[in-house]
Amino acid sequence: MIDERRLKILTEGAKYDVSCSSSGSKRKNTGGMGNGYAAGCCHSFTPDGRCISLLKILMSNDCVYNCKYCPNRLDADVPRVSASPEEIAQLTIDFYKRNYIEGLFLSSAVEKSPDYTMERLVRTLKLLRNQYRFHGYIHLKGIPRADEALIHEAAQYADRMSYNIELPSERSLKLLAPQKSKESLLLPMRKLAEDSAVFKEEKRKGLFLPAGQTTQMIVGASPETDGQIVRLTQSLYRGLGLKRVYYSSYVPVVHDSLLPDLPVGQLREHRLYQADWLLRFYGFTAEEIAPENENLPLDLDPKCAWALRNLQLFPVEVNRAPLEMLLRVPGIGGRSAQKILQARRYTHLTFEHLQKMRVVLKRARHFITASGKFYGAKSETAVRGLLTAGETGENATQLSLFSTAETALSALTGEL
Amino acid sequence: MIYLTDGTKESFLTAFLLAFSDGDALVSSSPTQLSLGQKTVFVSADAARAARAEERLLSFDKDCMNDLSLLLRSGMSGREQIAFRYFRLLALQKRPVRDMLADEDVLCASECIRKVTYEIHRLHGFVRFLESASGALYAPLSPDNDVVDLLVPHFRSRLPEFPFVLHDVKRKKAAVYDGKNTFLAPLEQAEVVLSASEQAWQTLWQRYYKSVNIPQRERLKQMKGYMPVRYWKFMPEFSSREPFLT
Repeated sequence: MIDERRLKILTEGAKYDVSCSSSGSKRKNTGGMGNGYAAGCCHSFTPDGRCISLLKILMSNDCVYNCKYCPNRLDADVPRVSASPEEIAQLTIDFYKRNYIEGLFLSSAVEKSPDYTMERLVRTLKLLRNQYRFHGYIHLKGIPRADEALIHEAAQYADRMSYNIELPSERSLKLLAPQKSKESLLLPMRKLAEDSAVFKEEKRKGLFLPAGQTTQMIVGASPETDGQIVRLTQSLYRGLGLKRVYYSSYVPVVHDSLLPDLPVGQLREHRLYQADWLLRFYGFTAEEIAPENENLPLDLDPKCAWALRNLQLFPVEVNRAPLEMLLRVPGIGGRSAQKILQARRYTHLTFEHLQKMRVVLKRARHFITASGKFYGAKSETAVRGLLTAGETGENATQLSLFSTAETALSALTGEL
Repeated sequence: MIYLTDGTKESFLTAFLLAFSDGDALVSSSPTQLSLGQKTVFVSADAARAARAEERLLSFDKDCMNDLSLLLRSGMSGREQIAFRYFRLLALQKRPVRDMLADEDVLCASECIRKVTYEIHRLHGFVRFLESASGALYAPLSPDNDVVDLLVPHFRSRLPEFPFVLHDVKRKKAAVYDGKNTFLAPLEQAEVVLSASEQAWQTLWQRYYKSVNIPQRERLKQMKGYMPVRYWKFMPEFSSREPFLT
């Protein structure tokens, strides 16, 4: 049994990784313990509001890399510990049996070499799947520059793999994570996507990453704009077929002259996730969401901002508008849109109906008519005022070093 | 007129037939709801009548008995009335009414059903098993709705080699999986002898829970929204020796 001290260190090293979802895998129980839960399942929530779905832990925090933002970088003076494959497997099994977790999220610092680390990760997965006959969810973090064959083997045991692209541009990556390169991160992702396609094509036995790949990037440690980040996100979804892109707003755990000293407001992260949802579920393109060299507005959600730029398309009549258009109305989400589609088959919907159906009308009323009636504000300025009211308080944040385009550029070139 | 049922499906369906033509009927299983000036009838289950009602309702909507089962499991005190209004509409329309979401009765019923199914989903995550000395797993819980037996298929399919007991301490009953079969049984109180390592795993879980949190980003309101405090009672992460949330 792993001791409390090492569990604490290895967990604290893994906790800044955002991804914790356990969805997308339908792995069956064929004797032994566990199965996939395609919808995903949250087992607990921590006081920071995040869910615990998987046991998120590092195999080791003993790193040969020296990424500037990382508390476990080579230069850092922190206690170094590792866990054995047997310890990780046993911990997973006993937590899973008690229904504390939905599975394992295993990651590691690069201990000794990429191949040595990857080999230990794969050994843990094989132990769980073969010896313990564990069929629960496993998310494995890929180690950049590890041998291709090892990565391919890992993918046959994991439900999901992820390589974190860490920073939204190659320049920032060079500056802050010198041992990683864009290629070392994107190549294995591309290879896994190809292998997965081949696997499906040839209808081979077993599973190969049934829940696909994800990635994560840190927002605010480097000067890229939201417009660039949203475009990058779109290309990752389209080009590599990723299931999710996660953002983590920068929390300064390490002090370095190349890094900002202030944490990035969580509101910016929130706006990026809203934009990400618009890309994945609402039929928007990155170009519609934000101009390339601008950040998303903080005082408005990105859908409201888009609607205000495109007022000529509104108001739409809820009794006639197609699903695609309903989804573009600020305040109407997937569930409300479906409810409207169902209900309008039986009756002509009025505002009272929408209210009773709990469609949130605070924002939507400025953009819809119901049975021809409009209840929104009359002018664009009034709409803008009403939409931003009540949001201003939480937006009062300290200015960041990279607030303007010029300082952002000089930070990248190293002049600042 | 108030139709008082014993809470079972048969009793409800019998009352449904009796109350159908009475537009102002109140159907309830809790006698505390009696109001002044209303006559009350106690409806005892009549198997033949109930079967007749069920058959007729199924001919309008083949999935409606599933709705009824979920509605009658709700912890809301007005559940029979909500179900009565919903099934009355179904019988009048003579076709599925599930999607008529602009109708008040359908809306009430669908929200009530959603609360029940949502709690089932939540409990798939929030149930906490204790390992007994024999290796069987025991989980106490007190759900809002009467859903303890509906949790069994989920745990049975992922832990087929472990017998387990899901104990609804509020309703004093337990859903049991003995390694082969599942059944429901009344259970007042359970005596569980814990396995030798149970406490140690709980302590590790508490340590994990504490370590994975990012204290700089506290959002208690959001946390409690996702996981209401009433579920914390049986979770070892909240029974830590040192107070954690202060």
